[in-house]
Amino acid sequence: MTKNLRVKTSKYIDETYKISFKFNGTTYYGYKGDTLASALLANNIHLVGRSFKYHRPRGIMTAGSEEPNAIVQLHKNSSRTEPNVRATEIEIYEGLEASSQNCWPSVNFDIGGINNFLSPILPAGFYYKTFMWPASFWEKYEYFIRKSAGLGKSPTEPDPDIYEHKYVHCDVLVIGAGISGIIAAKTSAKSGFKTLLVDEKPYLGGSTIYQNSEHFKINNQISSSWLDKEINEIKKIKNLEVKTRTSVSAFHGYNFLLARENLTDHLPLNQRNNKIRHRLLKIRSKKVINATGSLERPLIFDNNDRPGILLSSAIEKYANLYGVACGEKNVLFTNNDSAYETVISLNQKGINVEAIIDNREEIDSKLIKEAENNNIKIYKGYTVVNTSGYKRVNQVSIMQLSKDGQKVIGTKKSIDCDCLGISGGWTPAVHLFTQSGGKLKFRDEDQVFIPNIYPSDQISIGSCNGEFTLDEILTTTPKTLKEFLNLKKTDYEDLEIQSSFNKSKRNIWLLPSDKIIGKTKPFVDYQNDATAKDIKLALREGFRSIEHVKRYTTTGMGTDQGKLGNMHALGIISETAGTKMGESGTTTFRPPYTPLTFGTIVGRNVGEYFDTFRKTPIHEWHVENKAEFENVGQWKRAWYYPKDGENMHDAVQRESKAARDSAGILDASTLGKIDIQGTDASEFLNRVYTNAWSKLAVGKCRYGLMLNEDGMVYDDGVTTRLGENHYIMTTTTGGAATVLGKLEDYLQTEWPELDVYLTSVTDHYATVSVCGPNSKKIVSQVIPDLDFSDGSFPHMSFKNTKIGKIKCRVMRISFTGEHSYEINIQANYGKSVWEKCMEVGKEFNITPYGTETMHLLRAEKGFIIVGQDTDATMTPIDLQMDWIVSKKKYDFIGKRSLYRSDTIKEDRKQLVGLLTEDPKEVLEEGAQIVADIKSPIEMLGHVTSSYYSPNLKKSIALGVVRGGKNMMGQKLIIPMENKKINVIVADPVFLDKENKRLNA
Amino acid sequence: MLDYTNVITKEKSYSGLQMKEIKPVMKLIIRGKKREFLSAIGKSLNLLLPTEPNTSSRSEKLSALWLSPDEWIIYSNEISNPDTNNYETENLLNKKISNIGLGAVTDVSDQFVLINMKGDKIFDLFETGSPFNFNIFRDKKGAVTQTILARIDVIIHNQNQNEVNLFVRRSFSQHLFSWMNDSASRL
Amino acid sequence: MFVINCPYCGEREQSEFKAGGEAHIVRPKQPTELSDDEWAEYLFMRKNIKGIQFERWVHAHGCRKWFNLVRDTSNDVIKAVYKMGEKPPTK
Repeated sequence: MTKNLRVKTSKYIDETYKISFKFNGTTYYGYKGDTLASALLANNIHLVGRSFKYHRPRGIMTAGSEEPNAIVQLHKNSSRTEPNVRATEIEIYEGLEASSQNCWPSVNFDIGGINNFLSPILPAGFYYKTFMWPASFWEKYEYFIRKSAGLGKSPTEPDPDIYEHKYVHCDVLVIGAGISGIIAAKTSAKSGFKTLLVDEKPYLGGSTIYQNSEHFKINNQISSSWLDKEINEIKKIKNLEVKTRTSVSAFHGYNFLLARENLTDHLPLNQRNNKIRHRLLKIRSKKVINATGSLERPLIFDNNDRPGILLSSAIEKYANLYGVACGEKNVLFTNNDSAYETVISLNQKGINVEAIIDNREEIDSKLIKEAENNNIKIYKGYTVVNTSGYKRVNQVSIMQLSKDGQKVIGTKKSIDCDCLGISGGWTPAVHLFTQSGGKLKFRDEDQVFIPNIYPSDQISIGSCNGEFTLDEILTTTPKTLKEFLNLKKTDYEDLEIQSSFNKSKRNIWLLPSDKIIGKTKPFVDYQNDATAKDIKLALREGFRSIEHVKRYTTTGMGTDQGKLGNMHALGIISETAGTKMGESGTTTFRPPYTPLTFGTIVGRNVGEYFDTFRKTPIHEWHVENKAEFENVGQWKRAWYYPKDGENMHDAVQRESKAARDSAGILDASTLGKIDIQGTDASEFLNRVYTNAWSKLAVGKCRYGLMLNEDGMVYDDGVTTRLGENHYIMTTTTGGAATVLGKLEDYLQTEWPELDVYLTSVTDHYATVSVCGPNSKKIVSQVIPDLDFSDGSFPHMSFKNTKIGKIKCRVMRISFTGEHSYEINIQANYGKSVWEKCMEVGKEFNITPYGTETMHLLRAEKGFIIVGQDTDATMTPIDLQMDWIVSKKKYDFIGKRSLYRSDTIKEDRKQLVGLLTEDPKEVLEEGAQIVADIKSPIEMLGHVTSSYYSPNLKKSIALGVVRGGKNMMGQKLIIPMENKKINVIVADPVFLDKENKRLNA
Repeated sequence: MLDYTNVITKEKSYSGLQMKEIKPVMKLIIRGKKREFLSAIGKSLNLLLPTEPNTSSRSEKLSALWLSPDEWIIYSNEISNPDTNNYETENLLNKKISNIGLGAVTDVSDQFVLINMKGDKIFDLFETGSPFNFNIFRDKKGAVTQTILARIDVIIHNQNQNEVNLFVRRSFSQHLFSWMNDSASRL
Repeated sequence: MFVINCPYCGEREQSEFKAGGEAHIVRPKQPTELSDDEWAEYLFMRKNIKGIQFERWVHAHGCRKWFNLVRDTSNDVIKAVYKMGEKPPTK
C-alpha cells in the first residue's frame, strides 16, 4: 500500500539527499530534512503505535514535541536503543531503525487490542479499584500488570554515548525562535545584551517560516520571506548565540534554567563516536524572554483518535515544510479560522480538500472566502459525531449543532476521507512560565490561560502570551521589549502588517454526540487513553480537585504530560461540576518539558568521575605493592596488603602480629590537620575540647574529644602544641572538613573576640606512622640527628627536625598502643620518607598495614573510632571516658548537655568490651545484643567493632549496651540467624592496660 | 637526601589549551585582621595585600591573592629548589607576623597543586564543571575567584589574556586533572 | 537554585554555599546557670516560618565566611544579606 505522498518541493527538504531507514523491519526512503514522522507520512504510513491501555491503533497526530501517539523505540536490541522517541522530533539519518511500541506481536496485529473491547470494564481507576483487595493478592496481580505496563523497553547494555553539562551565564535568554523570539533576540543582542536564543527545532523561524500565504505580509513581503531576512541578520550579531535542537526542560527560580542541547541524534550511528550526544545547559540568565509559542488544541468527539486524524496545523506543516500530503482526501474540522490557513496551503500544493466542518454558524473572513472560492464545501454549524476506520480513518459522520451547542440535531451525514484535520484553537505554551512560579489568568473570550504574575525578571511574548495573530504579535512585541529591556527604540516600530485572521472561535470542550456518553470514546489524553467519559466518572465518584482527577484518570500523566488535552480536561471538569473555568486553576506543570535521557541528567558523572576521589602522597607506593583499597569518605586508603594469595583475614592477622612483634608502618596522611595560630589559641581549645589545654607544655601532644552542643561525641584526635600560640590539631579522616567548618562557625559567630586563625593543612603533610617495639630503631636511622631517648622524646611529645634539608615534625603518639612515631613531612617528600622507612626497616621485618589492621590494633587497646563505636547518641560518659571531661572548666561545647535529664540516665547505651565464650567465635559487627531470648525480645544494644586478635589469640569486640557500665562480667546473648552466641561483658581495654608497651 | 614526588608529571596539550603543574612553588596562607598586620606585610615583602575582594597583587617575586577579608594566599612567581623547604619569605613573615601575634602564617606549599593553563579554551573547559560566571573574570587580569570545578574546590588566578593559574588541594589534584583532560579532549 | 549575594565575594551560585539554620540564636554566656528547659530552648527550638525567615549561611566553597540572610520562604526571594554582628534589617 506504499504510495508516494510527497508533493511540491519544499526548500527545507533536500530531495537530492535520499536517506533509507527502517520502520518495523521494512526499509523506506525519505530525504534529508525529514523527521521520522514526515518520512512515514510521505510513505502513506499513519499507523505507528498502539495506545497504552486499550491498545488502540494510533497514528501521527502532531508535527512537534507535543506528540502523544507517535512514539517509537529506536534501534531495538542495541546499546543505543531508546524508547519513547517522538517520531515527530527525530530527524531521519541513514540507517535509522524505528519500531512501534506497546504492541505484540506487531502494530498491525496486537493481542492487547482486546482491551479495547474490554474497555467497558476498564474504567478510570480500574486498577485502584480492582487490585486493592484482597491485599495479599497484590503480588499475583503485579506480575501481569507489570508485564503489560510501561512504554517501550529500556536498554540493557551500557550507554556508549558521552553526555556533558555546561554552565551558561547570559544577560538575556530567549526561549523559542519563532517570529517573536527572533525579533526579541535581535533586539536584545543589538542593544548590547549577551543573548542566547534556543529552539527545540533544527531550524529557526517557528511556524511563520513556512507561511507562504499572501494573506500574511510584513512590509509588503510574505511573512516567511521577511522573517528569513531577519534570521540571516541575527546570524551576524556578535553577542548573540543561537542554539537549535535545544529544548528548555526546566525553568527554576532566580532564572535558572536547564536545557538539553541535542548534538548527535540526527547523525548516522557511525558518526557519533567520541562526540557528545546531549549537553545539559545550566543556564543562569539575568532576564528571560519566553517565546515558547502555542499548541493547537484537538477537538473532543467520539473516536477522535484514529490514525489519519491530525491537528490541522500539523497537516499544514507537513505540506509546507516537508512537502508531504497527509492524505488524498482531506477533511478539516475546526472551531476557528486556523484550519482555513491549512486549507489554503493544501490548495496551493494541489492537495485535495473534501470538506470543512466548522462548528461556527455565522462566520466570515478573507480566509473563509478564499476556501469558498476554491469550491470547498463548508459545513457551518456542524460537528463531527463519529469516525470510522480501524487502522486509518476512512469516514467521518457529521451532524448539525443546536444553537446552544449542547446537542446535535437533524440527520447524520457521512463524508469519506483518509485524513481528518482538527483544530480547536490555540493554547499558549505556558509550561515553563508556570514552572518558574508564574501565575496565570484565564481569558474568557477565547478560553485560554495566559501569564499574569511573573516571579522573576522575565516576560512572555507572542502566542505564548495569548497573542495569536500576526498583527497582534508585531505590534505588541516591540512595545513589550522596549519596556522589558529598557530601550528607547526597536527596529520594529513602523512595520506595515497585513493579516487576515479572524479571531472568532466557538469553544465547546466536549462536543455533543447522538449517542450517550457511556457509548462513546472521546479521547482527552491520547497517550494514557483517558476519555471525557473517565473524567465525568471521576467527578461522579466525588473527585473535585483537578489534581485528584488527574491522578485518578491519569489524564496528563504520560510522557507528553498532556500537552494537548489538559485544557479540555479542565473544561470538562468545570462544565460538569458547574464551576467557572479558571477558578480551579490548572494542574502543575513540572519539569522536564519534554523527557530527558538519564545520560543527559548524569552528564560526565559516570565511571571514573562518578565520585570524587582523594589520594595520599604515598598512594602510588600502595598501588605498586598490591594493596587493596577502601573508600574512607572521598579518600582511597590502603585497606590491607595481601601477600602470596592471602585473603583479607590472613593478611590482617599477619600485619597485626608484625606490628606488635616488631614494626608496622601505616599511611596516616588522610587524618585531618588544622593549623591553629593566635594569641587565644589555648583558650579556643579549652572551649572546643572537653579537657583542659592551657597547661599543655610546648612540644607536648594531647588527645582531645570534641562534642556537639548536645553533648554527643563529634570528633577526636591528638593536638600538639607547636609554640606558645601555635597548635596543630588532627581530626578523624572523615570529619576533617566538618570539624574545620564547625570551628570556623564558632570563631566567626560566637567568639569573634578570640584571636585565633585556622588553616587546613591536611594535604600539605604526608603522615608516616611507624609502630612496634622496633619503631625507635627504624625512625632513628631515618632521622639520625634527632635524640630519641625517652627522656628527651617521651610518649605524647613532638620534635621539629630535618631529614637532609627538609623540615619535618615527628610526634611520638600512638593509636595502636605500641611505641610509635608519626613523621609529618611536606607531601611531596612523603613517598620518599616512607620508602626510607621500608628500606631501613627491612631488617626488622617492617610490615606495611592498612586500615583494617589499624582498626584491629586499636580495638585490642580499646581505643574508639568516632563514627564506628559512636553514633550521634554517645556522650563521653557513655563511652566510659569520664576521665577526659574536665570538671574544672567552666564551659566547653556540649558541657551543659552532659547533665540534662536524658544524658544522666543510668540505662543509656554504654560502651563495653565483649568476649565470646568460645574464643574462636568472632561476632558480626552490627549484631544485636540481648539478655535473654523471650518474646517480645528486648534489644540491649549492638556490636560496634569485632575482630579476631592474633596477639591475644581470641575474639574481641566492642559494643554498646544499655546500662552496660554496671554489667561487668555478666553474660549476654548475641542471637544470630541460626545460633545464639554467649558473650561476657568485659573491660574495653583488652591489651596492656598499664601502657607498658607505649612507654617501652 | 629525599626524593621530590609531585602529582602531575605530564604536561598536556590540546587545541587551544595547555596544562601543566608548576612546582615547587612556595605557597603561604597568611591571615590577620589588624591594621598593623597589613602594614607589616607590606613593609616586609614590599607587597601590598589586595583588600578588594576577588583581586590580587604582585611584586617581582610574589603574588598575593585575596581569599577572604582576613585571608590571603601568597605564592612565589618563580619555582624554588626542591632540595629544601626552608623559605626565606616564610621565615621573615614568621618573625614579623606570627611570632609577635599580629596574625598567622602557614606553609601550604604542598597543600595546593598549582596548575598553569594557557589557551583560548580555558573558560570553555571551566564552563563544563564550574557554576562561576566567568564573563567578566576572563578579561580581567589579576582577577581571583574561589569556586567549584567538577565538585572540587579551586582557586583561580587570572594571569593574563588566556592564561590562568589554578590551585587545587593536592589530594584532589589527580582526579581533577584527569577530569580536566577528559573535558579538554572534546573542546 | 538561588543566586546569593555573599557580603564579601558578591553574587555566586547557591552550590557554593551551605545553609546553617536559623539566625540570631546566641549561645548562652553561662550555660551552667540554665535549667534543663532553658538549655533545651537554646539547643532544640527553631522556627520554621512560611514567610520572612532569618537564616545563617556560609560561603563554604568561597571565602568561608558566615553571614545572615533574610529569605521569604514562600517564594524564596532573598530580601537582604548582612554580615555577622550586623543588625538585621528592620524592613
